[in-house]
Amino acid sequence: MKFTKKSQEHMDACRFCWMCRHICPIGNATGQERNTARARALGLSLVAREAVAYSEDIINNVYECALCGACVKECVTGWDPVAFTKEARLVAALDGKLPPYVLKMVTAALETGNVYGATPDDKLTAKIKGLKKSDTLFFLGADARFKTSANAVEAIDLLLALGVDFAVLENEPDSAYGLDFLVGAAAETKAAAEKCAKVLNGYKKVICYDPADAKIFRREYKEWGVDVKAEVLTFTAFLADLLKDKKVKKSDLVFTPQDSAILARDLEETEPIRAILARIGEVSEMLCNRRDTMLAGNLIMNEYMPLVMLRVASDRWTNAKNVGAKTVVTESPAEYAMLKATEPDGMTVLTVEEAVAKCL
Amino acid sequence: MNDFLFDVIATELEDAVGRENCSTRTIDKITHSVDYFWLSRMWADRGLRMPEGDFIVAPKDAKETAAVLKIANYYKIPVTTWGGGGGTQGGAIPVSGGIVLDTKRMNAITDFNERGMYIECGTGTIYKHLEWAANERGYATMHYPSSLTCSTVGGFLAHRGIGVSSTKYGKIDDMVLQMEVVLPNGTIIETSPAPKHAAGPDLNQIFIGSEGTLGVITRAQMRIYEQPEARRFRGFLFHNMTDAFSAGRELLQKFKPSVMRLYDEAETASLIKKIVGVEKKGAFMNVAIEGVSEMVDLEEKILLSTFGKYGAEDLGSEYGEKWWKEKITFFYPGHMMDIPQCFGTMDTIAPYDKIEKIYWEMKKAIETNFPQAKFIAHFSHWYEWGCMIYDRFIVDGKDVPQDPHEAFRLHQAIWNCGVRTALKNGGVVNDHHGVGIKLGRLMKEQYGPAMQVFEGIKKSLDPNGIMNPFKLGL
Repeated sequence: MKFTKKSQEHMDACRFCWMCRHICPIGNATGQERNTARARALGLSLVAREAVAYSEDIINNVYECALCGACVKECVTGWDPVAFTKEARLVAALDGKLPPYVLKMVTAALETGNVYGATPDDKLTAKIKGLKKSDTLFFLGADARFKTSANAVEAIDLLLALGVDFAVLENEPDSAYGLDFLVGAAAETKAAAEKCAKVLNGYKKVICYDPADAKIFRREYKEWGVDVKAEVLTFTAFLADLLKDKKVKKSDLVFTPQDSAILARDLEETEPIRAILARIGEVSEMLCNRRDTMLAGNLIMNEYMPLVMLRVASDRWTNAKNVGAKTVVTESPAEYAMLKATEPDGMTVLTVEEAVAKCL
Repeated sequence: MNDFLFDVIATELEDAVGRENCSTRTIDKITHSVDYFWLSRMWADRGLRMPEGDFIVAPKDAKETAAVLKIANYYKIPVTTWGGGGGTQGGAIPVSGGIVLDTKRMNAITDFNERGMYIECGTGTIYKHLEWAANERGYATMHYPSSLTCSTVGGFLAHRGIGVSSTKYGKIDDMVLQMEVVLPNGTIIETSPAPKHAAGPDLNQIFIGSEGTLGVITRAQMRIYEQPEARRFRGFLFHNMTDAFSAGRELLQKFKPSVMRLYDEAETASLIKKIVGVEKKGAFMNVAIEGVSEMVDLEEKILLSTFGKYGAEDLGSEYGEKWWKEKITFFYPGHMMDIPQCFGTMDTIAPYDKIEKIYWEMKKAIETNFPQAKFIAHFSHWYEWGCMIYDRFIVDGKDVPQDPHEAFRLHQAIWNCGVRTALKNGGVVNDHHGVGIKLGRLMKEQYGPAMQVFEGIKKSLDPNGIMNPFKLGL
């Protein structure tokens, strides 16, 4: 089994190191030793040494990682379990060893443009049809379009209420985030990225509702040499900027941000949500916040390990509860969906747009 | 074991803990076969598979643990308890196969008791999570070992672990109140409701450090502390270690700092230079004082005047603060010794009248008998009566045989030499990493006829010898 020299170096560093165990949302949720960066590294390093086969068992373990980057953030030396995990997924794909649940999603992405193989929601489609043309594109992303479409409608309504001129595509292209999550930088992933970039380049500005899309547009596209000329902004950053000049009511609500791992760690964007929430109420923090945030859910993984995803979200609620938080605000459609599904009595999860809409 | 009997046992275990919590998956067996022990790492590095458990079982509480132990006793199959697997002594390696009992499902915090100043939790709780729970409510556990994020409450109890603030707050055995333990026969017991009593020997202390050979600790009440008003650091450079020992001993007759760490000249010139930035020659010592601000002010004065008497150069607070910030950095890959090097930490402890001699004798013995080995040390846990040596040998990769069996021999020979030298000069087999399979053979050399006390307890509680066989010399 061949991994790149770089990945093997990282695996060999991580295979005997437990320092990031505590921060892994999956390991914390399952309590399973295999759900640690070191366990994945050990398994893969033994595969590389041909001591074990790259079997279904080991491959399944590679898919039990959310790629949230908590372990990467925690490592003071700079070892990167996410990178070798993604490469291991790619190797499984190239070897024709994808587990059936992954193959199903990859096939769906290639055939329908989204890993869920879902069709658009009527209400959202109607809302999109009512929008004018613009040189600013509001990119919703697969999670929002197909899993939390009510939020997408609310986000569109908020932008309209704030007087923003924007368009949303009825047939939005696949950003390739899902493919990248499942099989990494495969040829099919890059082809989807090329296709999407062509569409994005018809606009001056792209506002990404889902942090996952903002990340892939800004980071992976660049790595793959896929050129995006449009300015790419996150919805939260755009909204924070927009609200600077708007009159909003300050409520007596106390909001606790659930930092998106992607925004906080990959895009290093943690303050816009706080700026927004501070305009409309008070901000209180969970102990693990900003770059130290803990993932609260991933909808792709929810397709194949739903019980674990519910536990991941429940654990985050426990973190919130322990600091007396009542209202948690999230920037990620996936985290919203999972937190909503596990919302405890007396506590509420809001999207950023829901929080703002309350105070307009 | 034949396939038929294997399935009989597997289904009984599944019945006890739930099918999803009893695994025979390759990935689970592999990940529970390599801990932080150099030999297991070297074995894996050479592309060999360590001995693996046949069943990886994760009970959720004492009741399920009891059910697993009853099954194990009936079929007379070994049980090796696994917490975080961060141990250095091979204590968690299932050398005889059988059941690996992973405790991490037992991670519930069942009581945060501010009045009693303790948190009650399952012993599968990662200690860092316990610390977070304390921090969220304004408290701290004050247990800060380098493995804080890796290891479980049960793991620290099982091998009698220690953290960097031990001089003020003590070792793990000072931090526990009551424990729940499942005996090898499946009986669930509780130790006394409070420690420090005269109701016979302290049951806690029988199970703490027993490394899973006498039962499974499933629940514990761990102490919490108020966050200190002030925590102040002071770095010093001593001309030599003799002065440093005298200064440390004298200081501890006056008050207890939280952190005291003395690095020998070799470690000052290597690790301390690299991580903390101290460029000067000498023996670096870091001291932290914490508590109520007024007390800290006074203690700092006493510290400066005491150490001044021994010619220590006051380096101010900068290096100490850097050390505190980076205290775990030392242990990340890239900063720490790693394969292909061969290395080990021979921590031992002794009163002040013996400790320095032990250091020099061990250094001489290692460097004379194994000229390919480098010997470095620091002294990290200090008491009124003595302190411990955290002494390490390091053999460069080029001097380590590629043949795993020869590398194994080299490793064992260095350990025999170092620990026997410590024992000969008044030290003990180990201070806080435990014994495991690494040092079991040396336990009889330390205890002599006293070993029969341990053997008697073992025989009585675990007549079938199923609990963590070949560990602790039992």
